[in-house]
Amino acid sequence: MDEFESALAGLLPRLRRFAHGLARDAVDADDLTQRTAERALRARAQWQPGTSLDAWAYRIMRNLWIDTTRSRQRQDKVILAEEQGLDRGEAGDAEGRVELHFLMRALDRLPDEQREAVALVLIEGLSYAEAAEVLDVPQGTLTSRLVRGRQALVRMLGGE
Amino acid sequence: MAEQIDEAKIIAWLDGELPPEEAKDVARAVANEPALRRLADAHEAIRARFAATFAPIAAEPVALPARSSVVSLDSARAARAARTTAPPRPLRQWAVPGALAASLIVGFLIGQIGQGSGLGDHADALTIGSPLAQELDAQLSGRAGPVHVALSFRDREGRYCRSFTAVHLAGVACRAGTSWRLRYGAPVQAQNGDYRMAGNDPVEAAAVAALIAGEPLDAAAERKAQASGWR
Repeated sequence: MDEFESALAGLLPRLRRFAHGLARDAVDADDLTQRTAERALRARAQWQPGTSLDAWAYRIMRNLWIDTTRSRQRQDKVILAEEQGLDRGEAGDAEGRVELHFLMRALDRLPDEQREAVALVLIEGLSYAEAAEVLDVPQGTLTSRLVRGRQALVRMLGGE
Repeated sequence: MAEQIDEAKIIAWLDGELPPEEAKDVARAVANEPALRRLADAHEAIRARFAATFAPIAAEPVALPARSSVVSLDSARAARAARTTAPPRPLRQWAVPGALAASLIVGFLIGQIGQGSGLGDHADALTIGSPLAQELDAQLSGRAGPVHVALSFRDREGRYCRSFTAVHLAGVACRAGTSWRLRYGAPVQAQNGDYRMAGNDPVEAAAVAALIAGEPLDAAAERKAQASGWR
């Protein structure tokens, strides 16, 4: 394994966590992680050494996720009835899995641009400047999306 | 002083995004005004809840996709180059010239390198020597280099630990005074057509899970820990 591959391999656990912040369930998150890794390996020539591999890989994942949600929005009109109110938690889930599933459902109710900001800062711990770079938006835009997303989460999850 | 403190500023304060002076103002206002305090508590609760729930995911192993799914001539060539340029095992050649010389060399290597010479039953057996120790001091998670660090975290005694993959040895090392001590180790197997990586080893993942207190360090916390010499 060369330097690029080992650096990417080391990033994968964090990319997978980011995927859990974006995807609607754990299966989709793992799928998104694998597709991101494959895309990154294939597109490695596009990464410029000296720039942040993290930001580059996060960006690949985010773009793949956007593509997925866009095509899914069309499908979902058909399968919405099946999904509604459906709790897809598997039997025998550990407590942590239940909580993870619960928080992913909460994130799922945020608009995409708030969700990605929340996932990068709240879950991945990126600075505002880093997150704005990944999303290619001005920092003020990032901040306002982040604040609105966090306010919505407090409304959804607060008072428990 | 009585400058308007809104929700966005409180969130930025919780995220550590405010310059020190401004952070001090917000901290004071939050301490003095119950309404701001409640707001800060609510956001902090959410922050802590997400951190606690999502952090373990980053401690779970993830394998790179099979090489066959992304095969390219370049990576095949790179892999072959890596195999042929791998450094020869040092001890086998050195251990030849007589028992005394050999034992001196073994002692020297245990003191200086700590591995590559086999472990003995002594107090420093698991102390990691240079250059691996220097790499553990210097390398940030996820960066490319001869030693790759996947994860940094604190154990239950508050010591810093790092999971790493070097050329021949992968494992988890925790701080012991000013050195690193191996807490889990496994040989790196660079199999043909397969990826080696720290996160690929389920026993290592279990070791991390057993050692870790709280969540892995994020990039900022890791840089801070590195700057303070992992103390």
